Amino acid sequence: MASAAEVAQLVVNGAMAGTILAVPAIGLTAIYAVLRFPNFAIASHATIGAFAGYVANVSLHWPILPSLLAAFAVAGVVGVASDEFVLRRFRPAGYITTAIASIALTIALENIVRFGFGNDLRGYDLPIARDLRLGSIRVGPQQLQNLAVAGIAMAALFGFLAFTRMGKAMRAVADNPMLASVKGINAEVIGRLVNFVGMGLAGLGGMLIGLDTTIDPLTGFRTILSIFAAAVVGGLGSIPGAVVGALTVGIGEELCLLFLSPDYRSAVGFVAILLVLTLRPRGILGQAAI
Amino acid sequence: MNAGVGPSRRRFVQASSALALSAFAPAVLRAQGAPLQLGVLTPLTGAGGFDGPRMAKAMQAVIDEVNGAGGLLGRKVVLVIEDDQTNPEAAVRAARKLIDVTKVPAIMGTWASAVTTAVAPLCWESKTFLTTVSGADSITKLPHQGYLIRTQPNNHLQAGKHAEFIASLGVKRCFMMSIQAPFAQPTQDRATEVLKQHGSQMVGTLIYDKDKTTYRSEVDQALRTNPDLVYLNGYAPDVTVLLRDLFRANYTGMRFAQSYAVTTKVLESLPQEVTEGVITVQPSADVTSPAYELTKKRLGVAEPDSYETQATDWASLVALSIAKAKAASGTAIHDSVRSICQGAGTKVYSASEGLKLLAQGKDINYEGASGPCDFTEIGDIVDCKFRYNKATGGKFVLLKVA
Repeated sequence: MASAAEVAQLVVNGAMAGTILAVPAIGLTAIYAVLRFPNFAIASHATIGAFAGYVANVSLHWPILPSLLAAFAVAGVVGVASDEFVLRRFRPAGYITTAIASIALTIALENIVRFGFGNDLRGYDLPIARDLRLGSIRVGPQQLQNLAVAGIAMAALFGFLAFTRMGKAMRAVADNPMLASVKGINAEVIGRLVNFVGMGLAGLGGMLIGLDTTIDPLTGFRTILSIFAAAVVGGLGSIPGAVVGALTVGIGEELCLLFLSPDYRSAVGFVAILLVLTLRPRGILGQAAI
Repeated sequence: MNAGVGPSRRRFVQASSALALSAFAPAVLRAQGAPLQLGVLTPLTGAGGFDGPRMAKAMQAVIDEVNGAGGLLGRKVVLVIEDDQTNPEAAVRAARKLIDVTKVPAIMGTWASAVTTAVAPLCWESKTFLTTVSGADSITKLPHQGYLIRTQPNNHLQAGKHAEFIASLGVKRCFMMSIQAPFAQPTQDRATEVLKQHGSQMVGTLIYDKDKTTYRSEVDQALRTNPDLVYLNGYAPDVTVLLRDLFRANYTGMRFAQSYAVTTKVLESLPQEVTEGVITVQPSADVTSPAYELTKKRLGVAEPDSYETQATDWASLVALSIAKAKAASGTAIHDSVRSICQGAGTKVYSASEGLKLLAQGKDINYEGASGPCDFTEIGDIVDCKFRYNKATGGKFVLLKVA
């Protein structure tokens, strides 16, 4: 039987993995809330962010924090451009067509990254530290820092949505596009804004993942299923839901190690989707929109 | 055109008899002059595109030497080289051409396991001999009736050799973390068995999911068994994460991995202190063999690698088998290959040397550049060398070849 310390360690590991996962999951769910299609191009934008941060950090010798901002900005700009030139044209054809187009787009973008950077693994210019021990729990300083960055990004987003005019407009469009347009809110501008913020968060998440591992053109693609799982479990379209979903998937994947061999870990995320969608089809915090 | 019936018929008779004559008269000449064609089917493009061309070159170098020594059965030998594109579908088309049109007795050089698995049935059904580097255990278990040999060690041989090496380091407690893959379980089982035979112990194993951003909990699980060495049996993206997580968890014991999982690029991408001391292993050419020296000279390459030496050995084995059987058919190679590469005959280290002794009616035992080239009944090699490197100061340093 596992000791309490062991369980606590698993919960901590899961919470840290979940928080990082929450950042791109918020991006996915925010774009869904406003534009009403699951944008799988989140994967390549996470990769693009990770590589933008790499260029800033390794080639330009920027410290990590400004590099994270670069990851956000570059992925955001690419997100606006790819929506403007590619996905927007598909939207009138319905959300399934647009979602499929976003898969094609993500593969294309991923290959552009591959064309520029090759397939090799790359690491950031970042010293690695041994873990700290807090009682019987082990945590990594880098992971704590990532946790802080993810937390700040989420807080900033909530602040933006709650207190700024643009943020409120975004929520209005997500809530009722018809009513919003009657009130004179320009849905196109809001669409661009949500793409910038959503894909920016994907890029930030991609770099946060990379800080903990290494990056290659498949960095985003490898995590997209977990990101999608987090967003669906929390309730697609709900930003607090994405956070709750990511934590549920992250902690669930870790706690399953108590009973299951680690090779079933990914299955847990998907069992969670099945369970949630069966018992509560709109997701844990669905409906609330943003 | 006013050519009448008469002259036309006469011309027809003249022409056809001339044709008939030409078909008979120079027949003897042609038999002597027609080259003996051997098939090469190797990836010149695709994922194997780095190894394929070098393997083709190594085979060509051996064949040039054989031709210099008078060819085979009095005939010049020519390699017909086809690109398998590292793609089973393209490979099957190319193999069909080699078998049905060119009618080669042997096809040498398939690289990807998927390609070999696709091409092998065509070969054994047409009694064409196939030589390969593909590593999947399943390949030699195909019902190939002896029409296939491979010079690459399979998982079973590799796992056993790795375990012997790990035990030789004085490791008492080994833990193995394997990626979810077909080789994971068989490798763990074999390593566990061999460690035990050598007075060491596998204190635990686990199989992990690929594509995770962290393996902290898996690392915790491994470290609870208090191992002296952790064997990381995965691929580069996950092994880099594991190495980081082992470092963070304050693990200071030994780490062991396949060279394809910890490459020079991986060393560059990770902080030095994370990779310091990692031991990597890869199948190696037999660098101490005289055949290796000869291969170096023949290719003009300072350190021919495992693939170049295996290709050298295929061309040599096929040439010697044909000479021994005095016939250039797949069945002849099938019947005689083990009589020239294992047994009590005089050891030879190149095809040309072997051909000389065979001409004198002597028995030979070909010892290759990739290894001793002794094969089991199902076509697997019995033994081969491995190269062990250690990451030191961000670079690989050769530990030993054994």
